[in-house]
Amino acid sequence: MIFRNDVDPAEALGLVCDTEGEIDIVTEVSPADAGRVEDSEHANLVAIDAMRVVSGLVNRNSAPLDDVRVRKALNLAVDRDRLIREVFSGYAHPVAAMAPPYSWESPDDLEPYPHDPEEGKRLLSEAGWQPDRALRLAATGDVEAVARHLAEDFREALGIEVRIVVIPDEDLVAAQRALVEKNLPVPFDVLVHAWFDLAAGYPPAVIHREYFHSGGAFRVGPVLQQFEDLMGRSVVETDPKKLGEIGKQLDKLVYDEALNVFLCCPQALVAVNRHVDFTGHAATLELAETEVGEGHWSRRNGA
Amino acid sequence: MAGQVARQPVVEGGARTPVGTVHVVDPHPLNWLFITWNTMEEPVRTDERGNIVGACMEDSWWEGSTLVVKVREGVRFQDGEPLTARSIKRSFEEVQKWRAPHPPGTYLNFHPDTRVVCPDDYTVRFEFPEPDGLALAKFRGFHIASTRFWEEEGFGYRKYGTGEGHW
Repeated sequence: MIFRNDVDPAEALGLVCDTEGEIDIVTEVSPADAGRVEDSEHANLVAIDAMRVVSGLVNRNSAPLDDVRVRKALNLAVDRDRLIREVFSGYAHPVAAMAPPYSWESPDDLEPYPHDPEEGKRLLSEAGWQPDRALRLAATGDVEAVARHLAEDFREALGIEVRIVVIPDEDLVAAQRALVEKNLPVPFDVLVHAWFDLAAGYPPAVIHREYFHSGGAFRVGPVLQQFEDLMGRSVVETDPKKLGEIGKQLDKLVYDEALNVFLCCPQALVAVNRHVDFTGHAATLELAETEVGEGHWSRRNGA
Repeated sequence: MAGQVARQPVVEGGARTPVGTVHVVDPHPLNWLFITWNTMEEPVRTDERGNIVGACMEDSWWEGSTLVVKVREGVRFQDGEPLTARSIKRSFEEVQKWRAPHPPGTYLNFHPDTRVVCPDDYTVRFEFPEPDGLALAKFRGFHIASTRFWEEEGFGYRKYGTGEGHW
């Protein structure tokens, strides 16, 4: 197994799709490139239901987004099916809150907020949203397309103005520091943000905690005592079944309070040489089960 | 889409002989971690769906606030040294020296007052001051290394003089 970190990803995709003998596995294929892999004679596309989630991180530090009605209105404005179809080429799953729907902490009876512009407008009006108040929507370059789609939804469904700010790559570290250190007010109402679960044993420890706990790096708003209590119970609960139940309660709380704008869970897409048997893993890139067939370039001389 | 590959049959005893070479390009920002996970031992790993399963840990159970771990027998490091309970204790103590060793954050830390005892070569008792509900999840980021690794390299300890932020 050789990690070729000296090959540009775009070049690597070309090599796995159009040749054999150079590159066997390319991860992080974009949905836009998925068709190229599917049409390839040399490669297969592996789509993995990954422990990844894209959401709009809501700045709850001040009015009007400190009002749950406003946050619910934003969620009701989102057309998740269109987002998944047009931005992710279908390679994503809608998500009700922050737990991926295939994780064991996802509550069974929780459905994503419906696309309901009328109810969204009603809630926004009830909360007293000022007509001249533009929503400040920020995004990093990797999720800019999501932000542009989301801005369209907010404008069309709620009739509000949206100003998009794309954070340039050269400013990313400074922006990350501002978000994590929390010493300065952050200059956005909603930040489109992609995250993932690494440890997998308990997604709320890595996802929900990071966004909403008092010690969470991405929390932008006041601490919720109910959230703190549930997370406090989690860290001393050694019974997996009970831990899973607490995880579901955390996800339901996050949903009820509409703490983020919940969007989708993108699939991880991997291009794999046709002679390689690769097993996709939800949380990480695992290669222990990977095998090559007798027709693989590395075995053609009887190896 | 191209065709599928037939898997190599498992030979008697469950062992397979490594064959072939695979070249991987992984532009994920956590590539460094995926390389670590594919080259080092941990007590647990994740299955296809992301659930935790045993790796060098064969089994575990709680006795109050103590987590008892049975170590899988027959595991060897790349340098040939057998992986035993003492390898796990050594690795634990090496990482416990640091206040914030894990790049993803201190939530992966074990309680600083945790005591590790090895009653035999293949049993480890993690005596936590209080139950740790995230212990198995933390085990995913608990890298077990051979004596030679700790004596000669560590996680850059010799080069940087510290393990803060990089195990």
